[in-house]
Amino acid sequence: MKLRHISLFLFALAALAARAAELNVFAAASLTDALKEIAKAYEPASGDKLRFNFGASSTLAIQIKQGAPADVFFSADEAKMNDLAKAGLILADTRRTLLANTLVIVVNADGGAAIATPADLVKPGIGRIALAQPQTVPVGIYGKQWLQKVGLWKQVIDRIVPTENVRASLAAVEAGNVDAGIVYKTDALISKKVKMVFEVPAAEGPSITYPAAVVKDSKQVEAARKFAAYLAGPEARAVFAKYGFLPAP
Amino acid sequence: MSAEAWQITWFTIGVATLSTAAILPPGVALGWLLARRDWPGKSLIETLVALPLVIPPVATGLILLKLFGRRGPLGGWLERTFGWEIVFTWKAVVVATAVMSFPLLVRTARVAFEGVNPRLEQVARTLGAGPWRVFATITLPLAARGLVAGAVLAFARALGEFGATVMVAGFIPGQTVTLSLAIYQFVQLGHDGEAMVLLAISVAIAFAAVWVSEYFVRRRPA
Amino acid sequence: MSVELSGLRVPLASFALEIDAVLAGRVTAIFGASGAGKTTLLEAIAGLRRLEAGAVCVDETVVADVAAGVFVPAEQRAIGYVPQEGALFPHFSVRGNLRFGFEAERQYPAGLTYEHVVEVLELSALTERRVGTLSGGEKQRVALGRALLAGPRLLLLDEPLAGLDAALRERLLPYLARVRDEFAIPMLYVTHSPDEVMALCDDVLVLERGRAIARGKPAELFRESERPRYELRGD
Repeated sequence: MKLRHISLFLFALAALAARAAELNVFAAASLTDALKEIAKAYEPASGDKLRFNFGASSTLAIQIKQGAPADVFFSADEAKMNDLAKAGLILADTRRTLLANTLVIVVNADGGAAIATPADLVKPGIGRIALAQPQTVPVGIYGKQWLQKVGLWKQVIDRIVPTENVRASLAAVEAGNVDAGIVYKTDALISKKVKMVFEVPAAEGPSITYPAAVVKDSKQVEAARKFAAYLAGPEARAVFAKYGFLPAP
Repeated sequence: MSAEAWQITWFTIGVATLSTAAILPPGVALGWLLARRDWPGKSLIETLVALPLVIPPVATGLILLKLFGRRGPLGGWLERTFGWEIVFTWKAVVVATAVMSFPLLVRTARVAFEGVNPRLEQVARTLGAGPWRVFATITLPLAARGLVAGAVLAFARALGEFGATVMVAGFIPGQTVTLSLAIYQFVQLGHDGEAMVLLAISVAIAFAAVWVSEYFVRRRPA
Repeated sequence: MSVELSGLRVPLASFALEIDAVLAGRVTAIFGASGAGKTTLLEAIAGLRRLEAGAVCVDETVVADVAAGVFVPAEQRAIGYVPQEGALFPHFSVRGNLRFGFEAERQYPAGLTYEHVVEVLELSALTERRVGTLSGGEKQRVALGRALLAGPRLLLLDEPLAGLDAALRERLLPYLARVRDEFAIPMLYVTHSPDEVMALCDDVLVLERGRAIARGKPAELFRESERPRYELRGD
């Protein structure tokens, strides 16, 4: 008994001595809702606090390159992660590809444009299509790749309204300021104000995968490793599935 | 300088010119009213006009987005009545820059009119000149230097507008990208070199504009 | 030509201007210390200030009547106004100032032409000059000429010789006398100088704190004294 008390006491001391870590997690905008829910379970269990910076993976990568204090980077495409890996900014052994996603076309749920097939995007009457910046933001790059593949890119390019990130595209469709948007299926699922009119089949679409890794210059490497590992674990996977993410291929 | 940089530069100058021209009549009129007249609710108008100067530009942009969005009160009406789309077009850029530079113009115009001795206007009246003739031949010429300075200042502000513009117009290449937006984008893309070129152009234009404005303020009438 | 002020009332900072009088002289002096309300009275007659109560009647024409809701705007009253500072338009030349109110089609009294006014006030050397280059005395003469050339039926002068030194005042008084004699336009002449009153005016209204405290001919109200030459009688 005495031993148990002593070890409990020592454990409590150790727990007190170990300051709770605060992790800066830079994650793609499309992960916003899923990660916030994961945080609700993770924070009490681990004792660490999670601070999220959601945005376009391209913007986040640039911020990390310029020295922003990120601990974990969770990107919406491999290219941005490769970029940082090449610059020696991530811990290679922590890099894991965790999720996959699909592209969908959405329109406003309340009286949105009549679109049923991709070809409808070039119909007269469809004036504006929201797509995140096609040169840099992952969902924009994916969208452009797909549209090029189905031969619609050149016709559609004049109607594209480049947005800051995928959630901005979603917001534009929700507000009715554009006729249609190309977003991830997971984004379409969380919004009641848009409806999905077309899902890009896996065979046709680009391969959309989400890698995560610990940032090399992290000041909380141990806590970051722990979180990165948790993201690959069963509890996190269940939450991602709930929001419509597919497991990594 | 690349063709794209030229297009962005001319577009920015064009939008700033159009926006300044659009706010000149109401801005000068309001400046005169604030300088020469009192009425119930005057301080409310003064505060409203000053708002875009003090609240964050993106906040103003958000208000404009709600107003001029397709389903917004003004945007919806304009689309139904004239078929005009405002947000995500060059028209939104003009609206955003006009709103942001309006308070500057009103302020400068007010000061310009307050600088005209009211005695001169009174004497002109006793010489038989009605209110419009007094305004055209006495008030306006004597306030002209200050009004020009105000217009140039408003123009310079319109050139550099970012926060509100980004909210209502987005980054549509060739259609809504101004110098400020392009600089931001190039930095996002990691193209620092091109961003610096546009930065230099912006500084040069703004420098010229403020120089001209100061010239008009400093010059004494003969 | 007469100016009738009935129950005129204009509130001022610490008191109100209240006048009931008929002014019918060739040149009527409005005499009083600074702050007595003299300028306000001129502004009210010229139509540059609204009355709180009462009426102003110029030559049988009602130009303002609060009770009846009448207010003729200044530009329609044909009442000239030469303010204390002259107030020449700085962006016009002297000629531009002189001609500002001049209208060829108007019926001017005989002798009131551009050339004659320039001659009487000796302005011919100045007509092309810019206003900023004129001396104080020259500015006053131009202001006077400008008001005359608008063809007023009544001329209001607010201390035209104040701010000029004694020598200059001596030189300008004759011009004023000439205007009185040559053009026969009735004038209301605000001043706090008894010398000017004696030299130019044939009727005096004395104001103190917004009220007329004395009325009469100059000789009745002023007497000689050592220095200045005249002073207000005590009675």
